[in-house]
Amino acid sequence: MKQASGEKCINLKLKVWRQKAEESNGRLESFKAENISKDMSFLEMLDVVNEEIILSGKDPIALDHDCREGICGSCGAMVNGRAHGPEKGTTLCQLHMRHFSNGDTVVIEPWRSRAFKVVKDLVVDRSAFDKIIQAGGYISVNTGGAPDGNAIPVPQEVAEKAMDAAECIGCGACAAACPNASAMLFTGAKISQFALLPQGHPEAKKRALAMVGEMDKQGFGNCTNEKECEAECPKGISIINIARMNREFLKSSILS
Amino acid sequence: MKLDSKIPDGPLSEKWDRHRFELGLVNPANKKKFEIIVVGTGLAGASASATLAELGYEVKTFCIQDTPRRAHSIAAQGGINAAKNYQNDGDSIWRLFYDTIKGGDFRSREANVYRLAQVSNGIIDQCVAQGVPFAREFGGQLANRSFGGAQVSRTFYARGQTGQQLLLGAYGALSRQIAAKKIRLFTRRDMLDLVVIDGKARGIIVRNLVSGKLEKHSADALVLATGGYGNSFYLSTNAMASNVSAAFASYKKGALFANPCLTQIHPTCIPVKGTYQSKLTLMSESLRNDGRVWVPKIPEDKRLPAQIPESERDYYLEEKYPGFGNLVPRDVASRNAKHQCDIGKGVGDTQLAVYLDFKDAIKRDGHDAITRKYGNLFEMYEKIMAQDPYETPMMIYPAVHYTMGGLWVDYNLMSTIPGLFVLGEANFSDHGSNRLGASALMQGLADGYFIIPYTIGSYLAEASHDKVDEDHKEFNTSYNEVEARIEKLISIKGKRTVDNFHRELGNILWEYCGMSRNNNGLKKAKKLIKDLRAEYWENVLVGGSEYDFNQSLERAWRVADFLQFGELMVTDALERQESCGGHFNENYQTDENEALRDDKLFCHVSAWEYRGNSRKPKLHKEPLKFENVELTQRSYK
Amino acid sequence: MHWNSNRFILLLSSSIGKKLVMAITGLGFCIFLISHLAGNLIIYAGNDAFNSYAERLHTLGPLLILAEIGLLLLGIIHISTGAYLFYQNFRARPVRYKKKRNAGGRTIGSSTMPYTGFLILIFIVFHLVDFHFVEKADRSIYQIVLETFSNPGYTIFYILSMVVVATHIDHGFWSLLQTLGIDNLECMPVFRVISSAFSLFVGIGFGSLPVFITLIT
Ligand SMILES: Cc1cc2nc3c(=O)[nH]c(=O)nc-3n(C[C@H](O)[C@H](O)[C@H](O)COP(=O)(O)OP(=O)(O)OC[C@H]3O[C@@H](n4cnc5c(N)ncnc54)[C@H](O)[C@@H]3O)c2cc1C
Ligand code: FES
Repeated sequence: MKQASGEKCINLKLKVWRQKAEESNGRLESFKAENISKDMSFLEMLDVVNEEIILSGKDPIALDHDCREGICGSCGAMVNGRAHGPEKGTTLCQLHMRHFSNGDTVVIEPWRSRAFKVVKDLVVDRSAFDKIIQAGGYISVNTGGAPDGNAIPVPQEVAEKAMDAAECIGCGACAAACPNASAMLFTGAKISQFALLPQGHPEAKKRALAMVGEMDKQGFGNCTNEKECEAECPKGISIINIARMNREFLKSSILS
Repeated sequence: MKLDSKIPDGPLSEKWDRHRFELGLVNPANKKKFEIIVVGTGLAGASASATLAELGYEVKTFCIQDTPRRAHSIAAQGGINAAKNYQNDGDSIWRLFYDTIKGGDFRSREANVYRLAQVSNGIIDQCVAQGVPFAREFGGQLANRSFGGAQVSRTFYARGQTGQQLLLGAYGALSRQIAAKKIRLFTRRDMLDLVVIDGKARGIIVRNLVSGKLEKHSADALVLATGGYGNSFYLSTNAMASNVSAAFASYKKGALFANPCLTQIHPTCIPVKGTYQSKLTLMSESLRNDGRVWVPKIPEDKRLPAQIPESERDYYLEEKYPGFGNLVPRDVASRNAKHQCDIGKGVGDTQLAVYLDFKDAIKRDGHDAITRKYGNLFEMYEKIMAQDPYETPMMIYPAVHYTMGGLWVDYNLMSTIPGLFVLGEANFSDHGSNRLGASALMQGLADGYFIIPYTIGSYLAEASHDKVDEDHKEFNTSYNEVEARIEKLISIKGKRTVDNFHRELGNILWEYCGMSRNNNGLKKAKKLIKDLRAEYWENVLVGGSEYDFNQSLERAWRVADFLQFGELMVTDALERQESCGGHFNENYQTDENEALRDDKLFCHVSAWEYRGNSRKPKLHKEPLKFENVELTQRSYK
Repeated sequence: MHWNSNRFILLLSSSIGKKLVMAITGLGFCIFLISHLAGNLIIYAGNDAFNSYAERLHTLGPLLILAEIGLLLLGIIHISTGAYLFYQNFRARPVRYKKKRNAGGRTIGSSTMPYTGFLILIFIVFHLVDFHFVEKADRSIYQIVLETFSNPGYTIFYILSMVVVATHIDHGFWSLLQTLGIDNLECMPVFRVISSAFSLFVGIGFGSLPVFITLIT
């Protein structure tokens, strides 16, 4: 049985980005996180720090979080320069303190991108992602009148590939980790899902053009195939989806 | 007040058709004149918003999270039921209906449940058309798995992320209508009050969670799809923002609250580790398809699982319930796990866990097959527990998961306040006293896609709706009350944090109003909660300030409501002097420790009416009539 | 299928369109490099062979000029688009991280593309001055090569430049396959290997010349 090695509790020094509101200036502020059980999640560690802050009459650190199961995509921050911290395929809420050592200094910063404005402290505005979806990240069917679910067979491997792409939780780590603050993995995953499934084909052309257009409009950078997004994606979504998006986009632009 | 469930006449299978025909219609051209507010963007809220907008209504949609796609429904893992009978294994609308009624221990309405089973098939079709990547067979057909409480394979799934995929489908439909300017979306808004004008629901007061400012929004009808109240227990599998506040505000404005004591404790969750724990993680029930539950035969056995030979393992579910084995309904599985731990056979450091073992399944189907089915769940388990479930059995323990109780609604899903419709987990409608696995997603989408679009139209067609101004007296009164309550919370500046109170409330409810209850404990809990609430309003410490992004204040408001609501739960539990489904009163059990119903006295829905903070709420009973099924003692032997 | 000029402009102004421009011009350079290298390797065959190759090349006359103009255009487009992308990407993150680490996706090649590109530009200027715009009346091209590489400082500069070129290609070639959408899950590792092999081939092919020349003189 694998067990957390060494002592059960650790002490850490945190340096957390504090920023009152979008237009305020921010800075790193230091906190002590003491007696942190190695079984805690990163967010539970922050809970402990926040309880102390509240008890001392100060403003607690703001951070989005909700499911704490790694599926809603709310949480996220740069931890020591890594999106969602040092573990691969893990959201911040699923990162456990056993991956830190006693005495570590931990720098925590919000996602940085022109398209993601800081709302407060570690909270950023990711509505740019919603805008990209609104531009065409769906299949236009009204409720009612859908044919039987088995009317269109979808080969298992196609369904699996589509699911690989559809797993995206929209956390923003891809854009945050990308040296160019590009949102190609996010956009590519959605375009891919529908490019793979037969249901998505009728609108494929329109979708690729509209979603890429909106992505550009939101001020994300341009992909230079650095693969950092794939390396940091908590769901391990492959950049193959970016290639597929490129293909879809080029097809739609050149052939019409 | 007389509760009228508005169940249509006629034979069970024709009720919904007949009702749809009888419902009034809004002329297509007139639809755009009606504004509808939808609070919540989970499966219920997102599907309702999208469908209403498609029909032509002007919709305003609200949610707490920064985007609709993060609603708590995203976390549902296992799957969604439908009576497709694709497997040819004997399923039918009738069987799904019967399983749901029986699984709910005969405390739900026949007509509602039958309708749910009827529309279930349309949901799958709709979701497939939206591009939800359900699991497929090699031939390209939809795959199914079986789920707790059913002997047929009727659960559709997308890996262990079915809720996510269904929600993203609904979110796509919602996004499409936002782009078409038929829906105005308001994210990061917390509904704090309901505005009732001339006896009708006409608007809400929300707090903008970024600026901290209060806003007034009016409409011709309201749809509440704000989810369940499992977080009353502090520790639950619900997302952190799940709350009772929106429903409770409506309750205070005159909507009756039905069966608040009926909560579901899910049998397969990752056990609690320490006091810092902020939430519990569910391991999908689908795991029980292949995993075998066991404990050591001898109490206090401290050996590692690998050292315990087969002959010294007690596969207690398989032994006790040979028919269903590990697939017994949730309440039964949970209570049995608790029982094993109570008699000292619990495992792990805390001895509050049982094993869920995949060794045999891996041997039988191979590592890869198991990975395909449960890969992400195994990964999640390993992340949290630092143990590899392919090598050593999982440890699991029950945790609060779902709430069957909710705002009382009639067959049209309308609450006792005209114009206030309640969908999804927030209403009480379909699951009786215990919900079957994979049925909540089905219900949320049934409500949103296929029921509310008809029934809300009828309401709007029938009543006359003068436009109301957001400066109406009632809006201002509400606004001022909310503002005063926020100021009060901030100004107490006591010594205990919000979470500290919440944790204590959770302990009380878990201890006395959890998996099993008894009258003495409930009475004690009632007193403890009352005292805790009194202390809260004198000694709570809320960090930060009012007009700011303030998560401490958000929680403070919710916990204030949980405290008051906790009392209602206990009151309801005390009133229901029987055991049924999720409500297991130790004073009422069969010789085999199964829940013992009292169909003479308690075959009803208990709906509570608010009468002020200091007065006991008034109980209204909606009798349940069973004309199509026979009330039997549930048995899964 | 019909040509739609509006679409085309839209395409070029989009992020993927600009990447497409980088990819196609980059591909052009790759093809050029192969032919250039093939020519240069004739040096190994000795003085006469190389000189006659150079002569034959010059008999192409207008065709050669056309090719040169083409290369110049490719260069201008590649560089200006690249510079614009670099500027846009810089602007995409106005506030930078105090602490940033790589997650293991980037390679030396990928993370230095704009810089290796810039270095290559400098190299090309020198290269053209030394070999193209040089006074050729009284010397054979073979002699020019020998003389230029007799300067050890220049030789080192040249070899280092080839390392830079190889680094640029290592990422660039794979990247263009990805941008053109040719990449897929099964082929990705193969493409990566091909890209590295190609970059090594170009780097060693060109880089070995001065070594060979130093050895024979
Ligand atoms: C871990 C887990 C796994 C599950 N797995 C399954 C499964 O496999 N199958 C199944 O059938 N069921 C499952 N369930 C149950 C199911 O997920 C839920 O019952 C269902 O998703 C509830 O959907 P909903 O639309 O009613 O509400 P929710 O999804 O809870 O959405 C609530 C919405 O209301 C908003 N809201 C809440 N309060 C306010 C307020 N005051 N102001 C403004 N907005 C507000 C929220 O922002 C959110 O958008 C699972 C539940 C959990 C916890
Ligand atoms: S809180 Fe939901 S993904 Fe981390």
